[in-house]
Amino acid sequence: MEQIAIDIAGLTKSYDRKQVLQGVDLRVPRGAVVGLMGMNGSGKSTLIKCLLGLVRPDGGSARLLGDDSRNLSPEVKGRLGYVPQVVHQLDWMKVRHLIQYTSTFYPNWDERWVTELVERWRVPLGDRVQALSTGQLQTLAIVLALGHRPDLMVLDEPVASLDPVARRDFLRSILELARDGNRTVLFSTHISSDLERVATHVAILHAGRIASYSELDELKDRVKRLRMRATDDLPRELDIPGLLTSKVEGRSALATVSVVTPGLVDELADRYQAEVRVEDLNLEEIFVELNGHG
Amino acid sequence: MTDASLEFEIQPNSGVPIYRQIMDQVRALIASRRLPQGAMLPSIRQLATDLEVNMMTVSKAYARLEADGALERVRGTGMRVRPPETLPTVAERQEELAPLIEPLVTRAMQLGLTEPQLIASVRSHVKERQSWNKSPSTSRG
Repeated sequence: MEQIAIDIAGLTKSYDRKQVLQGVDLRVPRGAVVGLMGMNGSGKSTLIKCLLGLVRPDGGSARLLGDDSRNLSPEVKGRLGYVPQVVHQLDWMKVRHLIQYTSTFYPNWDERWVTELVERWRVPLGDRVQALSTGQLQTLAIVLALGHRPDLMVLDEPVASLDPVARRDFLRSILELARDGNRTVLFSTHISSDLERVATHVAILHAGRIASYSELDELKDRVKRLRMRATDDLPRELDIPGLLTSKVEGRSALATVSVVTPGLVDELADRYQAEVRVEDLNLEEIFVELNGHG
Repeated sequence: MTDASLEFEIQPNSGVPIYRQIMDQVRALIASRRLPQGAMLPSIRQLATDLEVNMMTVSKAYARLEADGALERVRGTGMRVRPPETLPTVAERQEELAPLIEPLVTRAMQLGLTEPQLIASVRSHVKERQSWNKSPSTSRG
């Protein structure tokens, strides 16, 4: 199997005169669970659609399980699972029949797992699809996309309309899918707390580019807030390598840096004659800082 | 959920990466003897399932604890708490001698021996033991 599940290079896409993607690079190794974060309108859905070959990019390349996204083979399509942001299903079918119908497209459909998921998610098998709520529709779409245990699962805002219980169940299912270390998951979300349990990597889309892409643990280990208290007034502009945001008020300052090291802390304490405390940031705080709004 | 997993409390939304939280908690459980020497830890898969976190996270925490010497990998079985390699400190071992030394000192005082005489006496016995260990066949005459 391919070592690189997703390989995007220099991808660009404009709608009318608005350039949504301005050269996106992203390489996802097999087995990774990647959370794609970005503010509303940052281009997450466009990126996902380009990746899956649903939208034609203007430039650059996207490869998926080894295939060019513009021309996916039936074999690779059979190894994909996709849950779009807006779900369209065959409205007139009963849920039970839609599951049966979908299963016929996949030779490796995992009947037992689907039964388990249907129970866990309380999917109403006897109802017609048109009677389902938005959340139930999304749940059903996720079950249908998981049924053949895809090698690559791509989800666009899968949790937006799920209640907290369903969201927790969803995350459990993603962990189960990724458990053997061979299956890759990419999902976009703006709910950072969902990512913290399951994601191995986090990519942040900002102004049409990937502003940050790293392992989640590594991100939390290196992006820190420094709380400084000096003996004299601090300069209004702090000169710190990798400074993301800062706020100076007299002798106190808050500065967020992209890479903290013990050496940096010592050097700042020395240079500004200040007591420097290092504070941990969670993913939501890191996301806000990386978008320059700290 | 296994009993051992219940000892862990993970806060995914903390700024401390989950693998570090697991490492800190394993160390604390060892220090408090709730995980005694030689105790097996839950398997990576088990702990990841119980805590609802990615297996890679648990795997990373265990690997680092192994590198630090807190855990050891037992082939085909899993991870267990490693017994400390170092001996008890000198002070701790001297403490063990106290019940034997007390009657010795009492008897020396009763016999009217001075401190240097007592120490000389102990030293000669230590010397004798050392030579005895070097040539065990020599008779003690």
